[in-house]
Amino acid sequence: MLRVPLTRAICLTHSSRVLVTASARLQSNIPAKAPEKVEVFIDDQPVMVAPGTTVLQAAAQIGVEIPRFCYHERLAVAGNCRMCLVEVEKSPKPVAACAMPVMKGWRIKTNSEMTRKAREGVMEFLLANHPLDCPICDQGGECDLQDQAMVFGSDRSRFTDIDHAGKRAVEDKDIGPLVKTIMTRCIHCTRCIRFASEIAGVDDFGTTGRGNEMQVGTYVEKLFLTELSGNVIDLCPVGALTNKPYSFSARPWEVRKIDSIDVLDALGSNIVVSTRTGEVLRILPRENEDINEEWLSDKSRFACDGLKRQRLITPMLRKPNGELEAVEWETALIGVAQAVQNAGDKVAAVAGSLVDAEQLIAVKDLLNRLGSELLCTEQKFPTADGTSGTDFRSNYLLNSSIAACEEADLVLLVGTNPRYEAPLLNTRLRKGYVHKEQDIALIGPKVDLSYRYEHLGNSSSIVQDIASGKHPFAQRLKSAKRPLVIVGANALSRSDGKAFLAGLHSFANQLTPEDKNWKVWNVLQTNASQVAALDMGYKAGVEEIVAAGPKVLFLLGADGGAINKDNIPKDCFVVYLGHHGDNGAPLAHAILPGAAYTEKQATYVNTEGRAQQTLVAITPPGMARDDWKIIRALSEVIGTSLPYDNLDEIRDRLEDVAPHLVRYGRLEENNFYAQAAQLAKLQASSLQGDIDVKQRTLADFFMTDSISRASPTMAKCVQAVKKAQATA
Amino acid sequence: MALAIKRLSSIPKQQLAILAVPVSHKYQNIQVRHAQVSAPPPQTKTKFGGLSDQDRIFTNLYGRHDWRLKGALKRGDWYKTKEILDKGVDWILNEMKASGLRGRGGAGFPTGMKWSFMNKPSDGRPKYLVVNADEGEPGTCKDREIMRHDPHKLIEGCLIAGKAMGARAAYIYIRGEFYNEASNMQIAIAEAYQAGLIGKNACNSGYDFDVFMHRGAGAYICGEETALIESLEGKQGKPRLKPPFPADVGVFGCPTTVSNVETVAVAPTICRRGGIWFAGFGRTRNSGTKLFNISGHVNNPCTVEEEMSIPLKELIERHCGGVRGGWDNLLGIIPGGSSTPIIPKDVCAEALMDFDGLVACQTSLGTAAIIVMDKSTDVIKAIARLISFYKHESCGQCTPCREGVSWMNKIMTRFVSGNARPEEIDMLWEVSKQIEGHSICALGDGAAWPVQGLIRHFRPVIEKRMKDFEQREALKN
Amino acid sequence: MAAKEPVKRVIQQVRPILSLDRDEARRRVLNLYKAWYRTIPFIVDKFDIPKSEEQCKSKLREMFLRHKEVSDVRVIDMLVIKGQMELKECTKQWKQKGHVMNYWQETVEPKPADFLSKFMSGQN
Repeated sequence: MLRVPLTRAICLTHSSRVLVTASARLQSNIPAKAPEKVEVFIDDQPVMVAPGTTVLQAAAQIGVEIPRFCYHERLAVAGNCRMCLVEVEKSPKPVAACAMPVMKGWRIKTNSEMTRKAREGVMEFLLANHPLDCPICDQGGECDLQDQAMVFGSDRSRFTDIDHAGKRAVEDKDIGPLVKTIMTRCIHCTRCIRFASEIAGVDDFGTTGRGNEMQVGTYVEKLFLTELSGNVIDLCPVGALTNKPYSFSARPWEVRKIDSIDVLDALGSNIVVSTRTGEVLRILPRENEDINEEWLSDKSRFACDGLKRQRLITPMLRKPNGELEAVEWETALIGVAQAVQNAGDKVAAVAGSLVDAEQLIAVKDLLNRLGSELLCTEQKFPTADGTSGTDFRSNYLLNSSIAACEEADLVLLVGTNPRYEAPLLNTRLRKGYVHKEQDIALIGPKVDLSYRYEHLGNSSSIVQDIASGKHPFAQRLKSAKRPLVIVGANALSRSDGKAFLAGLHSFANQLTPEDKNWKVWNVLQTNASQVAALDMGYKAGVEEIVAAGPKVLFLLGADGGAINKDNIPKDCFVVYLGHHGDNGAPLAHAILPGAAYTEKQATYVNTEGRAQQTLVAITPPGMARDDWKIIRALSEVIGTSLPYDNLDEIRDRLEDVAPHLVRYGRLEENNFYAQAAQLAKLQASSLQGDIDVKQRTLADFFMTDSISRASPTMAKCVQAVKKAQATA
Repeated sequence: MALAIKRLSSIPKQQLAILAVPVSHKYQNIQVRHAQVSAPPPQTKTKFGGLSDQDRIFTNLYGRHDWRLKGALKRGDWYKTKEILDKGVDWILNEMKASGLRGRGGAGFPTGMKWSFMNKPSDGRPKYLVVNADEGEPGTCKDREIMRHDPHKLIEGCLIAGKAMGARAAYIYIRGEFYNEASNMQIAIAEAYQAGLIGKNACNSGYDFDVFMHRGAGAYICGEETALIESLEGKQGKPRLKPPFPADVGVFGCPTTVSNVETVAVAPTICRRGGIWFAGFGRTRNSGTKLFNISGHVNNPCTVEEEMSIPLKELIERHCGGVRGGWDNLLGIIPGGSSTPIIPKDVCAEALMDFDGLVACQTSLGTAAIIVMDKSTDVIKAIARLISFYKHESCGQCTPCREGVSWMNKIMTRFVSGNARPEEIDMLWEVSKQIEGHSICALGDGAAWPVQGLIRHFRPVIEKRMKDFEQREALKN
Repeated sequence: MAAKEPVKRVIQQVRPILSLDRDEARRRVLNLYKAWYRTIPFIVDKFDIPKSEEQCKSKLREMFLRHKEVSDVRVIDMLVIKGQMELKECTKQWKQKGHVMNYWQETVEPKPADFLSKFMSGQN
C-alpha cells in the first residue's frame, strides 16, 4: 500500500521500511538487534555512528556543520542544492553529505581544497541568477544565502552579462494573504514543496518547467490553503517566501526577541516574540520537540497584529445613561469594590479561553474570601451530580502527551477536528500516518484532515456501540498495540457529554496496550486556560452561575458567549477583565483592562498538562495592568487583601494549590484512570443525535478568540479562503 | 552493399540450421568452462573490424525483412528460448559474464555483474526490469532500428534478462517521439503474448513474465535511469539521488535494473551462441559487436553492426564511404554521441572504437554515435548548439547543472561571434569543471565534456575568432 | 609574598591625591568656593537662567555644605577636583542652560512602596 505521493522522498530516508509494509510488519515482530556502530573519520576526528547515518548527520555529531540549503532535518532529503558536497577520501567526485550514508572507515574532509572548491562553485552558480536586492529583501540579516555566501563564497563575481540579457526573472505568485512571494529570489531548494506535501499534506506546491526555466509554484494560480502555511517562510533559505503582514517593517537585528508561549490553541506551542519599540512585530516558532517541533500554526503566527487593535487601554465604568466612561484606576476599583461589598457572597467569576493561572488563582482566592464558590470556566466538561468529571486530572488531559501521538498504531478521533483545533497535533498524527503505519478513524462530521482516515460516521450511537464493544472498530482497538482515543473537548461539552465520557473512558481503560504505561484516554482541549482552571478547581460550564443568579459577575476574558444578557439577572453588576473589547465587554458595567499573553509573565497549562510560562515582550498598552495584580488591588480596596504582592509570592501560592503549575516545561504523570472511569460510569446516560465540530473548514480556523478576531490579517485570511472555496 | 543485402536475405533458414546444432553442443561445453571464463583471456587478436555476416546479431537492422513474429522466427528469434530459461539463472548470468558484454547505453558497466546484483534473496518485493528505450542522445539512432525492425529480439531479451534477475515484469520505456517504434513494439508484444512466449508460463517454462510498454513525453533527461524510473512512476522525470541505487529501490520502490535496448536485445543471441563467441570480438574488456551510428559529413551515413575495437578510420571508410571530401577534409569527430568530447583529426586516425580506446583519447565511447565534421564546420557553433540543447534539457533540479549549463550557454553564444575576451576561455573551462561531478546525474557531466573537448583541441580557433571580432569592431569605430 | 600584601595596602591608603594634610585640603576647598562665588554673576548672565545671584549663592553654599561631614582628605580632594571640573564646564560654557538648572532639580521622587500605590502608578 503506497499511500503517499512522496514515495520518493521517503525511500531516500527509510527505504525498505516505509515502502514495503508487508516486510516491515514481518520484521517488526522480530525484536531488532541493535545495529553495530561504524567508525568514520571527519576531518581526521573519529566518530562512531549507526549505519545508515548520513555524512551530514555524522559531522553534526562532532559539531562540524556542513553548509546546506535544501537539507532540513524534518523534511525528506532532496539533495539538489549541492551545497553540502564534501570530499571523501578515495572518491573521485565529492559526495552530497545530506544524502550519502557513511560507510565504515570513510575519511571525510569537510574543509579540503576539493570541498571548498565545490562549495564555491555552487555558491557562484546560485548567485549567478539571484537578484542583488538584499537591501530591499525582508530576509536580509537572516538569509542563509547571504550568510553562506559570506563564509563559503568567492570574493568576486565572474558573471559577465554583456548582452544585458539580465538575470532570470520570475513572476511573483499570489498564494494568499500570509506568504509573500518574490520568486526571482528562489534558489529551487524545494523545501517549501516538501513541507507542503509531507507535513501540511497539501500537494499544491511543485515545480513547473525545467532547466533554468524551472519555477516553484502552485501550477495554477491558487491559494496555499493550509493552516500551516507560515512555516514555509521559516523554511525558505532565501527571501523568496516572506511574511506578508511583516513585510518591510523591521530588520532582524533591530528587534528584541523574547521566548514565550502561544495561547491561541491548547497546545502551548513555544514561540519567540519579536518586538520593537513596544510593538509586537512578528511571532516565530521556537523549537520544542515535545510540543510543536519547530512548526507553528498560522493563527498563532499571524494573529499578533490583533494585539494592537480593539484593545482595552483604560478602566471604564458604565454611566447611568448606559455609556461606558473611561475612568482612573482608583475610581474603577472603588466602583467595583462597592458593588462587591454590596453583593455579599453572591459573587461569581467565569474564566474565558486566554486566562493565565495567576489570574485564576487570584480570582479564586478573592471569591473564596468573599464566601463564594461560584467559579466556572466558559467551556463545559461533563460533571455529575455530586461528583465531578474534573476531579481527576486524567479525565480531561491529553494523557499520552503530544509527542507520543505519532507513536500510536491506531487512533480514534471523536468529535474533534484536530487539523483546526490543534494543527500541530494534527501534524503529529499525519507523521504517524505517513511514516509509522498509523491508522486513524474518526467519529464526527467528515472533514479534511490532510491524511486518509476511516470515517465511522457522525452519529453518536457509534460511540455507544464502540463503548459497548459491539462495533467492529472496538475489536480493532482491542487488538491494537498502542491505541489512542482522542475526544474533542467540544464533543464532551454536549448536553450528553457525560455519556461520552463515561462510555469511552471506561472502554479506553479496558484496552490492554502492549506497554503498560501507554495512555489510551485523551481529551483534546481547545482553550489555553481550560486545564489550569480545572486543575485549580474551577467548575466547567456556567450552569451553576446561571442558576445562582449572582449580584456581581467577573468575566475573565469570557468572550465565548456562554454568558449573555438573558441568562444573568438584570441587576447583576458585570465586571469584565480582559485585554480586548470583544463579545464579553459590552455586557460589562465595569471594565478593567488586562494584559495580553505577550505582555505578562504568566503560567499556562497546555492540553497535555504541561505548565509553561510566557515572558514579558512588551508592556501592556495604556493603563492596562497585569491581570492578577488587578485582582490583588481590588482585594485591597474591598478590604480583604490577598497575601501576595509580587510574582514570586503568587507563584508560591500556585504551588500550594497545585505544585505542577510551577514546574515549568515538565509533564506530570497522571493517575487514577480506573477510578476516574468508575466515577464517570456511575451516571452514564444514553446518547442521541449527531456529533458536530465547531471548525469544519479552513475559514473557521482563523478567528476563534478575542485576539484573532481583532486581527486584520486573520480577517483577510477568512475572506481569501472563503473566496477560494467559493470559486473552487 | 546490394550484394550484402542479398546475402542477408537468404540467410535466415540456413542460419537457423547452423545455429541449432552448435548451440545445443555448446551448452554442455560451457558448463565445464565456467571456472576459466571468470578472468578475461589475454589479448591475442590484433586486428578488429570486418564483422562477417554470420556473426551479425541484428539481422534485420535495415528493415528489409518482416519484423513481425513470423519473420523473427525465421531469423532465429525465440528459438529454444524455453531451454535457455530452463538452464537457470546462474547459467544465464555466467554466460553474460563470460561474454564480457558492457552496457550499451553509454556508461559501459559490465552487464553480467549488473544483472547479478538483482540476485539477492527476495524481501517480498517484486523485481522489475526496465528497458531504457528513451534514445535521446543527439547522433544516436541504434535502439530505434532494433525496435522498429527487430522488436522480438528485444522482447526475447527482456524475457531472458528478466529470468536472470528474477524479475516479475519488464517495462520498456520508449521515447515519446518514437511513434513507429512504439507501434511496432506494441504489436510485437501482442504477438508474443498471443504466441504464449511471454505472459503467464512464458514459453512453457513455468516462469511468469509480463512486458509493458510505456511511452515517454520527450525529455532527454528521462534517458537517465533514475529519471526514467520517476517518469515511469508518473512523476516529473527528475533524477533521484543515489544511493539507494535502483537495484535496491527502483521503480515503484522495488528492486529494478535499467538496461539499454541494445544490451537486452543481444542477450538471447549471446545465450544461444555462447558468451565465448561474443567475447571473441573486440579487445579484452571491450568485447562484442556493437551498433555504430555514423552521421554528419560522411558520404553514406548509416547505422551498422560492427566488431568492437574497430579503428575509427576503418569504420568510416568501410561503411560510410569515407569522409566527405576525403579523410584530409576531416576536422573532428564526436565519437560517442553529443555528450562526449570532440577529438581532432590526428587523434581520429589512431582511435579504436571501444571503451578503453576512446578513454585513452580523453573521450568516451558513449553510445557509439559518431558525428563526423569536415572542415566546412564551424566547430564553435556546433558545440554551442549542443550546449543549448543541454541547457534546454537540464531538468533544473540541482544547482550546478541548472545554473552552470545556462551560464555556459551564454558564454558559448558569445564565443560563436567571438565577442569575448581570451581569459573567458579559462573561465569557461573552470565553470565546466565546476559542473562536472557536482550534479546529481550525469547530464551535467555530459554538458561539460563537449565544452572541455572544444577548449582542449580547438583553443586556437576560439582565440582567432575573438581576435577577428576585435579587429572588426576596431574597424567600425 | 603574603606578608607584602598588607604593607602595600597601607602605602596605597596613605598616598595622597593632592593635599598632604587637612589644612591644605581646607585651603583648596575655600579656594574653590571663592572661585565659584566670583563666577556666579557671569553664570547668571551668560546662561540666562531664571535664578537670581542670591539664589545661586545659596545653592552654592548648600552644595558645599552637603559634604561638610566629609573628613577624609582624599575624598575632599576628589570632590574639589570634581567641583573644578564643574566650574570649568560652566565658565567655558560647555554646559547648557538645562545642565545648570539641574542644580536646582529635585532628586528622584520616592518610589511607591506599597502594592496599591505601585499598582495605581503602573510600576512594578
